[in-house]
Amino acid sequence: MSQGKIVSIHSFRGGTGKSNTTANLAALTALEGKRVGVVDTDIQSPGIHVLFGLDDEKMGKTLNDFLHGKATIREVGFSIGENLTAEEGRAKLAGKKLWLFPSSIKSREISQILKEGIDFNLLNEGLQSAIKEFDLDYLFIDTHPGLNEETLLSIAISDALLLILRPDNQDLQGTSVTVDVARSLDVPNLFLLINKALPKYDFAALKENIQNQFQLPVASVLPLSFDIAENASGDLFALRHPQHEWSQALRGVLPYILNI
Amino acid sequence: MPGIFDRLNKEIKDSQRQEGISPLDIAQLPPAMRKIMRLMLREVQAPYALICETMEKVAEQERLSRSALDDALAALTEQGWLIQIGAGEKALYKVNLRRKEGSALMSGIWSSLDTKLKKDSSDKS
Ligand SMILES: Nc1ncnc2c1ncn2[C@@H]1O[C@H](COP(=O)(O)OP(=O)(O)O)[C@@H](O)[C@H]1O
Ligand SMILES: [Mg+2]
Repeated sequence: MSQGKIVSIHSFRGGTGKSNTTANLAALTALEGKRVGVVDTDIQSPGIHVLFGLDDEKMGKTLNDFLHGKATIREVGFSIGENLTAEEGRAKLAGKKLWLFPSSIKSREISQILKEGIDFNLLNEGLQSAIKEFDLDYLFIDTHPGLNEETLLSIAISDALLLILRPDNQDLQGTSVTVDVARSLDVPNLFLLINKALPKYDFAALKENIQNQFQLPVASVLPLSFDIAENASGDLFALRHPQHEWSQALRGVLPYILNI
Repeated sequence: MPGIFDRLNKEIKDSQRQEGISPLDIAQLPPAMRKIMRLMLREVQAPYALICETMEKVAEQERLSRSALDDALAALTEQGWLIQIGAGEKALYKVNLRRKEGSALMSGIWSSLDTKLKKDSSDKS
């Protein structure tokens, strides 16, 4: 098996902070000197490109082009470290080995793929060749919320699955379904990450409670923060404000990633 | 929660009665074959020798004998869940993943949006 590790990040519901967390974690991993890829398999509602400063104009070839046989995976990989914008957080990625494999945000192309479906053999080949061709240490997969087929595929091929949840009963129930599926697909490393925890909570107690409930490690508890909301996915928050409590808490996930 | 899991499995099965294996089918295979499927997905194409080598590392109580492994590979190939390239000791195996079917409904929403956006931008110019 190739050396590169696949880390899928999933949440049962949308708006949990999956894209923000994935982008920041991938960036922190790249700052550790690792070669990192980030794939947006949320084909019907792509978003993580925004955190890396890409828009429709800057975006070159996409995963959609690859799935339609119009681009190789090498052409889809967009080097973040060589295409920086002015934002203070992202600027720290200069020269780092981080590539984004974006999904198209053109409505025509989204519509086309929803209509035609997806060749999963080709999608899997693309993900595996991204690891080989870019010699990646880590490939992070930002998934669509819920359990659709792209997500199930990403779970089936992952070395690690990071499940993000809010301390909310809807999230808790949904997450337990995903945990069952991930266990039945033998994902070697499963861990949870709590985001948007109200600062008034006792984080240690919350962590222990959820760990007991799922019998899984909780890598960290990230606070609900107006500062993150205000950042509005405009920059990589953990790089821009490394001392912030959200960033510090996110950094607590890094050892889990580096030990896979 | 097996109830939800089964329902999910059934929904996906019902919506797609076509060739190929889905991740939920993989989840229902015996543990040793799940490991082999994972290997094949990660390698894209796995040589028979590597499959045998991986099987030898499976815990003893789950491990398949060489002939049971050969039978399993043949059965999965027969079913269209694996693709065999070449034969015998030199064979390569790959997983044949079931295609995701398209949905006219969801794409309809996006294409009407697209038409509207195009119209809006031509109205401006
Ligand atoms: N800890 C947090 N505190 C406050 N707002 C957050 C936090 N994490 C994420 N957000 C905000 O929540 C929204 C959804 O985040 P996003 O990363 O896009 O989630 P997802 O990918 O799960 O849908 C964004 O507006 C983001 O700025
Ligand atoms: Mg998202």
